Amino acid sequence: MGILLSEKTKVLIQGITGKEGQKAVKAMSDYHTQVVCGVTPKKGGQEVEGRPVFNSVKEALSVILSPPRRAFGETGGTKDPLNQTERDSSATPAGAQNDKLANVVSAVYVPPFAAKAAILEAVEAGIPLINIIVERIPIKDTAYCLAAAKEKNIRIIGPSSLGFIVPGVGRIGVVGGPLVNEIFQPGSIGVISRSGGMTNELSWQIRKGGLGQSAAVHVGGDLLMGTTYADLLLLFEKDEQTKAVVIFGEHGGSYEFEIVEAIKKKEFTKPLAIYIGGKFANVFPEGMNVGHAGAIVARGQGAAEKEAALASVGVKIAERYEDLVELVKPYV
Amino acid sequence: MWESLFYMNLYEWEGKELLKKHGIATPKGVVVRRGDDFVSKYTELGAKEVVVKAQVLSGKRGKNNGIKFCSSVDEVKRACEQLFSTNIRGQYVAAVLIEEKLVIAGEHYFSIVYDTTTKQPMLIYSEAGGGDIEEVDEKNIGKYLLDIRQETPSSVLPLIGEGESGNVAPSPIRGGVGGGVSAFVQSLWTCFLTEDTRQIEINPLVKTADGRWVAADAKIALDEDAFYRHEEWKNLEPRTMMGRLPTERELAVKKIDEGEGYYRGTAGKYIEMDGDIAILFSGGGASIANMDALIKAGLKPANYTEYSGNPPREKVAALAKIVLSKPGLKGLWIAGGVANFTNIAETFQGIVDAFDEIKPMYPIVVRRAGPFEEEGMRLMKECAERNGLTIQFFGKEKSMSDTAGVLAKLVK
Repeated sequence: MGILLSEKTKVLIQGITGKEGQKAVKAMSDYHTQVVCGVTPKKGGQEVEGRPVFNSVKEALSVILSPPRRAFGETGGTKDPLNQTERDSSATPAGAQNDKLANVVSAVYVPPFAAKAAILEAVEAGIPLINIIVERIPIKDTAYCLAAAKEKNIRIIGPSSLGFIVPGVGRIGVVGGPLVNEIFQPGSIGVISRSGGMTNELSWQIRKGGLGQSAAVHVGGDLLMGTTYADLLLLFEKDEQTKAVVIFGEHGGSYEFEIVEAIKKKEFTKPLAIYIGGKFANVFPEGMNVGHAGAIVARGQGAAEKEAALASVGVKIAERYEDLVELVKPYV
Repeated sequence: MWESLFYMNLYEWEGKELLKKHGIATPKGVVVRRGDDFVSKYTELGAKEVVVKAQVLSGKRGKNNGIKFCSSVDEVKRACEQLFSTNIRGQYVAAVLIEEKLVIAGEHYFSIVYDTTTKQPMLIYSEAGGGDIEEVDEKNIGKYLLDIRQETPSSVLPLIGEGESGNVAPSPIRGGVGGGVSAFVQSLWTCFLTEDTRQIEINPLVKTADGRWVAADAKIALDEDAFYRHEEWKNLEPRTMMGRLPTERELAVKKIDEGEGYYRGTAGKYIEMDGDIAILFSGGGASIANMDALIKAGLKPANYTEYSGNPPREKVAALAKIVLSKPGLKGLWIAGGVANFTNIAETFQGIVDAFDEIKPMYPIVVRRAGPFEEEGMRLMKECAERNGLTIQFFGKEKSMSDTAGVLAKLVK
């Protein structure tokens, strides 16, 4: 069943006419995902890969919410997802206000200086799930968008997130790229990663170990994460297909401590293994910023402190990321 | 253009310039550089009792002999000379700030940082300023939430369960009419927002004997991703947190990502290190895991480098040439995960361009997979053949960490 998306998911792409946006249409529709339309201000009326382009999210939604019609260029499945009435609650954040929008996802592919306006447009429109692929958004803009989204109970994944995938069902963004079928297969392990490359690498290690993934989510490497490890663990807890979860983490920030809290409160009870990269950062002076912006060397919240706190609540700690799979294998 | 991670933290005197711009009082002071006439600068300042402070990109200067109190020409001269001849906690002393000594009635602590739990800015205040805030008892530290969407905060809400009074912010924060924030907090907030800072810390904020609030220190970090709306940041002098001046190679790499498409694939991160194994990593996460693996395998990195987000051939070639130009290299590790969308052929073509020019004769280990991996590997194999290079190739069948071990054996 997986988390965050289902066969009913309908995607609109903000920034669809850009180079990355165009690639994303193809990547998603190649993996059975319905990309319905796109938005680029002032380019309304154009088409990208057969999808109509609109000037605004509001205009685009009128198409998504219009009566059923077959999606363009679909490669997977013949049933018309728009005719299904059955609800899949895992695909929708709790409390999403507009049922008509329940399965709509916006994927944001605009340049960083246009990101705030684009995200706020999606938030205003009430789209319940927004994936921000954009990298290097100023932190002030990110905080603004996250505050606006929180007020409307909207889930944001990212910024700097390549997206997420439910093997065999669909993907938002380009996770897996063109080799997606070599890397992903439906299975029982949930994958969460701060790094896009490592989302794929880790999923490959799982496949190599003879297993599959229930879902793989790239949460993004920025200091402020719209959806955190702990947020996703709660979804994986409810997902019957998921038997265990692996995380590729980075030092910096307090997100690992939220995991500790979630386990203490028994909100997450499944086996969990984590790798926290960046032990080498000790060779750099304090305050150094390496890798993703979230990986700021802050003593006291370094890899060692996090590992100790996580181990104390039973989380399995991997010395090398390759060991994550072996650590959860006995449980699946 | 200005976007490198090396520029993020401001020196104290630069931070104070920003605070002054927003109406926050700072002590009267003068910045001196190596080779300046310290005595005449001190005389010009016109204050007898002064504080002489090393300008470094880290805190805790007081405990590490970075701050000296002087009251004569001789003392100031000696203090400046001493400070310029040391480094503070591994940080390079870029300048010295000579400031009038304040008559202090109280030392408070103020900062605004991004809180990763609420994902909003948080105002941190304590009456127990002046020392390490980490050592102040939690119950004497107040934490207050600010809403980034309000340019004029209507209220400052204490985080529940924290803060000295539990539910009401103390007067230095409120102060304003009708429960609004004090003029000082408003100035600090405006500075935080308009200057695109990631952090402002004032410790101590001094209450002087004559009743004024003066920022006696300033630690400000700018958000490098907001460079496009801050032309003025171009004038900041180059800096690095590595406890030395940036090297020529570091400055050269920084230029790679400049220009309009700065966010389209990056190849501009390079930190020079003491070891002899050159690094060409792809992907932020993989590079962090690989650095850990490299050190575990007993190798010493000559640099930290990462390219990511499908950079064009030219960017990768420019980066690779600079990485390989470091003298004394004994090996090269090219490693990355299974790429999602980075074109392996295109990025490897950039590395091949560098190989054709430099022809590195030390052992090279490659581990990479992803789109166009076969063509990428073929390009590099052909390059190895025509130049007589020693390269071992691995795809996704072997883990990244394991290939660090392969390189370790080849190098020894």
